[in-house]
Amino acid sequence: MHLFDRLAALGRFGLFTTRVIRRLITPPWEIEEISRQVWLLCSRCALPVLATTTPLGMVMALQGLVIFSIFEAEQYLSPLISVATFRELSPVLASVLVAAQGGSSFAAELGAMRIHEEIDATEVMAIDPIRIHVVPRLAAILLACPLLNLLGSLGGIGGGFVSAVWIKGHPGTLYWSELWSMTGGMDLIGGQIKALVFGAIIGLVATYEGFFASGGAPGVGRAVNRTVVTSATTFIVVNYFLTSALFGVPH
Amino acid sequence: MSPDRTSVSRTLVPDPVAIRIEELRKSFGDLVVLDGVSLDILQGKTTAILGPSGCGKSVLLKHIVGLLRPDSGHVWIDGIDMAIATPEEKLQVRKRFGMLFQHGALFEDLTAGENIAFPLRYHTRLTAAQRRARAQEVLELVEMPELHDRPTSALSGGQRKRVALARAIVLEPQVVLFDEPNSGLDPMTSTTIDDLILRMKERLGITFVVITHDIVQAVRISDWVGMLWQGRLVAYAPLPVFLHSEHPIVRRFLSRTL
Amino acid sequence: MSLLPGLARFGRFLGQIVWSTVSNPLPVGRALEEAHRIGVNSLPILLVVSVFVGTNLSVQGASAFSTIHAERYVGMFVALAGVREMAPIMVASMVAAKAGTEMASQIAVMRIQEQIDALEVMAIDPYWFLITPRLLGILLVLPALTMISIFTLVVSAYGVAITQLGLDGHTFLEQATATTHAMDLVYCAVKAFVFGLVICVLSCYHGFTSGAGASGVGRATNAAVVMAAVSCAILNYLLSELLFG
Repeated sequence: MHLFDRLAALGRFGLFTTRVIRRLITPPWEIEEISRQVWLLCSRCALPVLATTTPLGMVMALQGLVIFSIFEAEQYLSPLISVATFRELSPVLASVLVAAQGGSSFAAELGAMRIHEEIDATEVMAIDPIRIHVVPRLAAILLACPLLNLLGSLGGIGGGFVSAVWIKGHPGTLYWSELWSMTGGMDLIGGQIKALVFGAIIGLVATYEGFFASGGAPGVGRAVNRTVVTSATTFIVVNYFLTSALFGVPH
Repeated sequence: MSPDRTSVSRTLVPDPVAIRIEELRKSFGDLVVLDGVSLDILQGKTTAILGPSGCGKSVLLKHIVGLLRPDSGHVWIDGIDMAIATPEEKLQVRKRFGMLFQHGALFEDLTAGENIAFPLRYHTRLTAAQRRARAQEVLELVEMPELHDRPTSALSGGQRKRVALARAIVLEPQVVLFDEPNSGLDPMTSTTIDDLILRMKERLGITFVVITHDIVQAVRISDWVGMLWQGRLVAYAPLPVFLHSEHPIVRRFLSRTL
Repeated sequence: MSLLPGLARFGRFLGQIVWSTVSNPLPVGRALEEAHRIGVNSLPILLVVSVFVGTNLSVQGASAFSTIHAERYVGMFVALAGVREMAPIMVASMVAAKAGTEMASQIAVMRIQEQIDALEVMAIDPYWFLITPRLLGILLVLPALTMISIFTLVVSAYGVAITQLGLDGHTFLEQATATTHAMDLVYCAVKAFVFGLVICVLSCYHGFTSGAGASGVGRATNAAVVMAAVSCAILNYLLSELLFG
C-alpha cells in the first residue's frame, strides 16, 4: 500500500510535469507575470545566494592554502577556487538557496492559493490555473537560475580573494593573474547547464507540492518542507551524474 | 430520496431545467459523502440546498462545476454531462457560471478591483480602462463602490464576500452558485448579503444555487429548497411546500428557528 | 522589516528561551523524543546526500589534481574538503531543510491557531514547552548525524576512487587518515553543535512570529530555512578560521 501510494504520487508528478511543459512551450505566455516573477525571484534570492557562496569561497581559500602550502604550489589557489566555484560550488549552493528561498515561496504561495480555493476559483472562472499560476513561476526560475548562478560565482571568487589576500596575505596580483589559467569555457557552460537543470527540478517540485497542497495551514507548511527536502536531495544526486557527464573523468 | 419528489418537480413545474443531477455518488476512501443524489435545478429560480455541516453540500456544488468527478451518476448542464465532460466542454459551461466560494477565494496579492476584473482579462477583449470601469460598475451593484483600490488583505469578512460576489457576476453569468454565503458573518451583514441576492435576482434573472446551513437565509431568498442529510436528498420542494413537510429531519431542522 | 526593532525582538526571544530553559525542570524525556524524531527523519536523506557528495568530491578532486599530476592526493583532498568542511555544513543544510522547516511550520500553525496563547492561559511556559525540547534534541543528535555523514562520505569517496577513477585504495586511505586528526572530528562536532543551535533558534523564532493564515505559515517556514542556511554558511567560515585557521 505504501509503495503503491508512492508510485501513484510519482505518476501524478509525471502527469503534472507534462501538463506544465506543454503549456510552457506553447503560447500564449503571461509575459507580464513572468517578468514580475523573475524580478521577485532575483530580488529575493540575490542576497541569500551571495551570503552563502561568499563565505564558502572564503573557506575554500582557507583550506586550499593549507593544501597548496604543503606542495609550495600556492599559485594554484585561485585556479582551484575558480574551477570549483564555476563547476560545483556556485551551481549547487545557489540552487540550494533558490530552493530554500524561491522554491519554498512558490510552494507557499501556490499552497495558500489552493487552501483558500483560489485555484478552484480560477478553474471555475474557466481560466487555466496551470497556465496563469504555474507556468510563469517555472519560466521565471529557468530564467533566474543562470543569473543567480553567475552572481554566486562572483561571490565565491570574491570571497576567496577576501580570505586569501586580505586575511591570509596571499599575493593579490597572483590571485588575479592565475584565476583563469585552468578555467575553460566548458566550465562556465557546464555550470550554467547545471543551474538550469537544478532550476527546472526546483520549479517543478515546488509548483507540484504547492498546487496539490491539502489540509489547511499545516498542509502549506508540509508542502514547503517537502519542496526544500525533495529538490535539494534530488539535485545533489543529479549533480554527481552531471559532473561526471559534463566534466568527465581524466585518466 | 423520497419517491414523491420526482413527481412534484416533473409535473407541477413547467420551468425549464438548468441543471439536472442524476443519482450522484461520491466517496472519499471509506467515507460516503454523496449517496445517490438526484434533483433538477430550475432556470431563473433560486434553489437553496440546506443541511448540517459535513452532509456533503460543498461536495455537491463542486460536482456541479466539475471540480470533482463523481464515482457514478450525472450532472447535466445544457446537454453536457459534467461527470465525464472534456476540459473544453467544462470551460464552455463554466464561462456561463459564477461561483462564490465559502471564504471568497479572492487572489490575496491583487486589489479588490483587480480581482473583479480578473475574469474580464481572460474572457473579454476589453481594454484595461474598460475592465476597470466594468469592475467599478459591479462594485456599485454590490454596494461597495469605495473598495476598488483596496488590497484584498485589508478587506473585512463581509467586504470579501461582496467583492467575491462581484467577481462571480462580472461576466453576467446565467447561473451563480453560492457556497455558504453567510458563514462567518454577523446577522446584520448576512441580511445585507441576502438582500443583495434578492435584488440581483430581480434585476438580472439569474439562476441561483445556494448551499447553506442557515434556514433563515433559505426562507428569505429561495423559491425551492432541498434538504441534504447524510449524503441523501431527503426533501426537495417549493418553499411553501417544504415549510410544511412532514419529514422528521426537515421538522428537526425547522424547529430550530421557527 | 526594519532592522533594529527586529534585532531587539530576536534578542528578547533568545533571552526568553534561556530564561525559560534554566528556570524550569529539564524536559529530558521529550528532548530524547525530539532527538530520536529528528535523527530518524533526517537520516535517510543525509545518507543519500553524503554518498553523492562523497563521490562528487572524489571525481572533482581527481580532475583538479590531474592538472598538476598529483592524483595520489585525492585522499587528502577528500579528508580536508569533505570531513572538515562539506560534512558539517551539508548536514546542517539538510537538517535545516528537513527538521528546521518542520519546527517552523509546526510552531507557526500553533501560533495562528492560538494554541500558543492557550498554553500561556494554561500557565505553561510556551518557550519551555515548545522550544526547549527541540533545542536539546537537535543539540544531541546533530553531532551524531555529522559523524555518520563523515563516515558515509569518506567510504563513498573511497569507493569511487578505486572503481570509477582507478586510484590506489591503500594510498587513498593512508592519505585520508593521516590528514584527519582526532581533533578534526571534535571540531566537526563543535560546528555541528553551533549549527544545531542556530537552526533551532531561527526556525522557532520564525514560527513564533508567524503571520496569519496559510500564507503566514508558508512565509514563516520559507524565512526559517533561508535564514538558517545563510547563517550556517557565514558561521562556518568563522568557525573554520577559528578552529582550523
